[in-house]
Amino acid sequence: MNLTTTTGSTLPRSAGPAAAAQATGLPDALRAEWTKLRTLPGTGWILATLGALTIAVGAGTDSATRCATAVSCTLDTTKVSLTGIEAGQAVVAVLAVLIITGEYSTGMIAATFTAMPRRWVVLAAKAAVLTGMVLAASTVAVAGSLTAGRIILAANGLIPAHGFALVSVSHGPTVRAAVGSVLYLALVGLFSLGVATIVRDSAAATGAVLGLLYVAPIVALFLGSNPVWQHRLERYSPVNAGLAIQNTIGLQHQPIGPWGGIGVLAVWASAALLIAGLQLRLRDA
Amino acid sequence: MEATIEVAGLRKRFGSALALDGMTFTVQPGQVTGFVGPNGAGKTTTMRVILGLDAPDAGRALIGGQSYPKLRRPLSQIGALLDAAAVQPGRTARNHLLWLAHSQGMSRRRVDQVLEQAGLASVARRKAGGYSLGMRQRLGIAAAMLGDPPVLMLDEPFNGMDPEGIVWMRGFLRSLAAEGRAVLVSSHLMSELQDTADHLVVAGRGKVIADAAVADLIAAASGDTVLLRTSGRVEAMTALTHAGATVAATGKDTLTISGLAAGQVVTLLNQAGIGFSEVAAHRASLEQAYMDLTRDAVEFRAQPAQEGTVR
Amino acid sequence: MTAATTPYRTSQRSVSDSFARLVHAEWTKFRTLRGWVLAVIAAVVLIDVFGLLVVNSGGIQCSQGSGAACLPSVPTGPGGEAVNDSFYFVRQPLPGAGSLTVQVTSLTGMISAQTGGFIGQHGPAGLTTGLVPWAKAGIIIAASTRQGSAYAAMMVTGSHGVRMQYDYTSDIAGLPGAVSAAAPAWLRLVRSGDTITGYDSASGSRWTQIGVAHLPGLTGTVQAGLFAASPLEFTPNFPSYGESGGSLTGSLATGVFDHVRLQGGVTGGWTGQNIGRGGAGYDGPLIGYRQAGGKLTVTGSGDIGPVVSGSANTSYDTVTIADHLLGVFIGLVILVVIAAMFITVEYRRGLIRTTLAASPRRGRLLAAKAVIVGLVTFAAGSVAAAIAVIVGKVVSRGGGAYVLPVGALTEVRVILGVGALLAVTAVLALSIGTVLRRSVVTVAAVIIALVLPYILGVAGILPAAAAQWVLRITPAAAFAIEQSVPQYHQVIGQYGPPDYFPLAPWAGFAVLCGYAAASLALAAWLLRRRDV
Repeated sequence: MNLTTTTGSTLPRSAGPAAAAQATGLPDALRAEWTKLRTLPGTGWILATLGALTIAVGAGTDSATRCATAVSCTLDTTKVSLTGIEAGQAVVAVLAVLIITGEYSTGMIAATFTAMPRRWVVLAAKAAVLTGMVLAASTVAVAGSLTAGRIILAANGLIPAHGFALVSVSHGPTVRAAVGSVLYLALVGLFSLGVATIVRDSAAATGAVLGLLYVAPIVALFLGSNPVWQHRLERYSPVNAGLAIQNTIGLQHQPIGPWGGIGVLAVWASAALLIAGLQLRLRDA
Repeated sequence: MEATIEVAGLRKRFGSALALDGMTFTVQPGQVTGFVGPNGAGKTTTMRVILGLDAPDAGRALIGGQSYPKLRRPLSQIGALLDAAAVQPGRTARNHLLWLAHSQGMSRRRVDQVLEQAGLASVARRKAGGYSLGMRQRLGIAAAMLGDPPVLMLDEPFNGMDPEGIVWMRGFLRSLAAEGRAVLVSSHLMSELQDTADHLVVAGRGKVIADAAVADLIAAASGDTVLLRTSGRVEAMTALTHAGATVAATGKDTLTISGLAAGQVVTLLNQAGIGFSEVAAHRASLEQAYMDLTRDAVEFRAQPAQEGTVR
Repeated sequence: MTAATTPYRTSQRSVSDSFARLVHAEWTKFRTLRGWVLAVIAAVVLIDVFGLLVVNSGGIQCSQGSGAACLPSVPTGPGGEAVNDSFYFVRQPLPGAGSLTVQVTSLTGMISAQTGGFIGQHGPAGLTTGLVPWAKAGIIIAASTRQGSAYAAMMVTGSHGVRMQYDYTSDIAGLPGAVSAAAPAWLRLVRSGDTITGYDSASGSRWTQIGVAHLPGLTGTVQAGLFAASPLEFTPNFPSYGESGGSLTGSLATGVFDHVRLQGGVTGGWTGQNIGRGGAGYDGPLIGYRQAGGKLTVTGSGDIGPVVSGSANTSYDTVTIADHLLGVFIGLVILVVIAAMFITVEYRRGLIRTTLAASPRRGRLLAAKAVIVGLVTFAAGSVAAAIAVIVGKVVSRGGGAYVLPVGALTEVRVILGVGALLAVTAVLALSIGTVLRRSVVTVAAVIIALVLPYILGVAGILPAAAAQWVLRITPAAAFAIEQSVPQYHQVIGQYGPPDYFPLAPWAGFAVLCGYAAASLALAAWLLRRRDV
């Protein structure tokens, strides 16, 4: 790779011939991956879908939710507003899978690894760029969901006078749930990126990621005949644990605490990326 | 069925790009027809339209007088190789041909025959994903031969072949034509077709710019110039000019003469008593003829396309 | 070069029909990719592994020990369904035709003061006054005193007025409202051979026919008399749709009868019997009957009616055959991936051009592909479901859980239904794959369409009414095909997935078929229209 062809003014250390001997580092990889993802047709659509789907599912749930008083039914207004995250995570997974498997299916991965031979740097750059995009889009999605929740739930009579917390940024647990949900989607993205790098095939990777995200909660839900495993799944499956961050009431009754839960998801994501990084080193591209 | 491909007035637009602009030609049986032209001339698009893969905006393409979707068993009427890379990597070559055979109601035995014919019998049970480009080309040829069709259409079959493969391919194409089949072979390198094609269709910017027998094309490109090597250059020029020829000095002791055949030049020189060491009728290479024809039709050059055809 | 050569004639002839050839070719395509074949096998294995090992590996503990030792002996009704048949019976034999008429002047009850209490208790500790909605007292004509025998009964209930019920599953409404001394209800049963007709009346003079029951088992001498029963009260753990468990509370009911008149009886004296000892409800000293001043007072616990799933009206653990099908979700994800790839990899590799050159009639090509993915997934799904259901029943029983019996036809419908569900889902994935031509988006779209609504519907995220709508209008409605036991309005239960669905089995399946048909039509249209 001839580094002197890149714009010297913004990348001073590649300006001279001496710099050409230097290995491509993370900043170069970041710029490359950013350009790649930005110019991929569909990235904009995917991020727009993430926002729209999350807010739409959340608003739909809000408007279906009715409850006379907090005594007759316990209802976590913040969690209800953020229901759309359940749908939005699939969109994040799609973006993450496309980032890596798109290169394998077209053979572009060879060009990428030729330009940047330190493969873990490529993976790190992809992870960073993905995280940035997901954080930005999901901040919009979460803000929109909470706004919709505040308006629609209040219109349905879920107001403090009836014992329900108003969705509000001045409410500590709600802020935790909001920040946590953004974090949750970013971690789902990293987890998906890791799994997709391991699996490589786009369809199989999508199936693997979405299977883990959606089937584990269903198994946990209906595992009543086996409470030990049910409890384990609720504590340690990525979605069940990760979404615990959305709880604002009744924390003592939950199988896992909010930060503990998001921590479990972070462990899943790091494990997936670690294995993916090792695989990249050991396997032929 | 008449073993021909007839393409008439094909037009096709992809967005703002005009891919085909009235492409018209006929491929006759018993000969190899080369389909040449620079990148973007519309060769592949024409072939896709012939196979019913792309729908033309106007015009028609017929195989033996029928449009492709009407063919009852298409692979027994036309065999095509479009993209050699279009195989499922996890499937063996033999199984790739097997599903194709089954789609035409043909047997496993036929698959083994074409594998033998394409020289792939020994590697037939290996996954196609591990094949080199040349091997994939042979697999594509085998697929095209599966239905033993009277018409064959091959898009860039020489791509990725080693010299031995190129020799094999040339002989193979010649033998197909000798059997009475119509063979259409596209290429963007004229040299590949030099000793193979009998007839040439030259495309540029979505239309045909030349459609002629190879011999005629070469003659047209060569003109009737004669090369003369002589020590009496000045005397020769005088004598030949008097006889009505146009003479140009091309070197210290060489002249190029046009307006006279080689035989006439020899007779004139002998009469005038001028010594010469060589007289040769000039033959242009196919490459040169092609370059002359397509000079103005290369897509990535901003000049209006040249109209008209040779002969 | 001239065209003097003779045109070449092909040596290849064909005899078979062109669509059969296409299907054959697509089958060859499918079976020659080892990865796909292995994935289908993996789907079958995972459906069964999750259905059998994970779901039922926890053995049940009970006073008799654990596992199979805890298996309860459950009576089955004339229709073969599991039933509760526990009540207090005050009876006389009735050898032939006859009728039984009473006036019910009161129905009162008691419930354990503590939710989840009272089960198996024999003393009156912690009783509080209260009547559960389906507490019942009335008259009954039963084939015998054996549990599960054929019967027909007229009764007053806690909050559903007068009812005629027979053979455990049938229920017909009569006069509405509660009974009291001021507003008594008159009940009458008339027997003629194996036909019993029920009447009610507010006055005792003008009678209304409520229903006619033909009970094939009701020959010779039968038992006629008065009864009282009060089912276990079920309190779910969460107010969500779908099974989430709950607690049971015992209760009892007391009916006061006046003007008791039996025509056709022979002995003239009443005998009291606690049939089924109150189920697992109350079995203490309050149970029994008193006769004073021409009035009969009967107190009983338990229920006469069908057992519903989710242990909502039984003290023992029940499972349905569909509970062994949890792994279907995993199988579904794998098969969706394969079905989507069956078309999307052709686009990715450019193989679609070879395919369409070989078979230019594109609609038929799509049909052939649909036939292959449909048949493969149907076979895989049916085999996996058959193993899960048949072996699952054995495993569950071994673990001490009572498997609700269902008819052979229902079992076949559930097994083949899983196959059909997976097959139509695969066709949906194939169609969407043809439309989108991208595997990632296709797989995500199908999973979002099928699995996400299911989660939203049952995970307690949506309120019950909205959850039921989600399971009516989205493709997830098709999981109704797995429902093996019917829902009964006369039994309070936890009527949600995975055992109960808002739509009938075939209706739910039809919803998915509608989505698949629409996307298949769109796919065929686009495939014909588009360049490849």
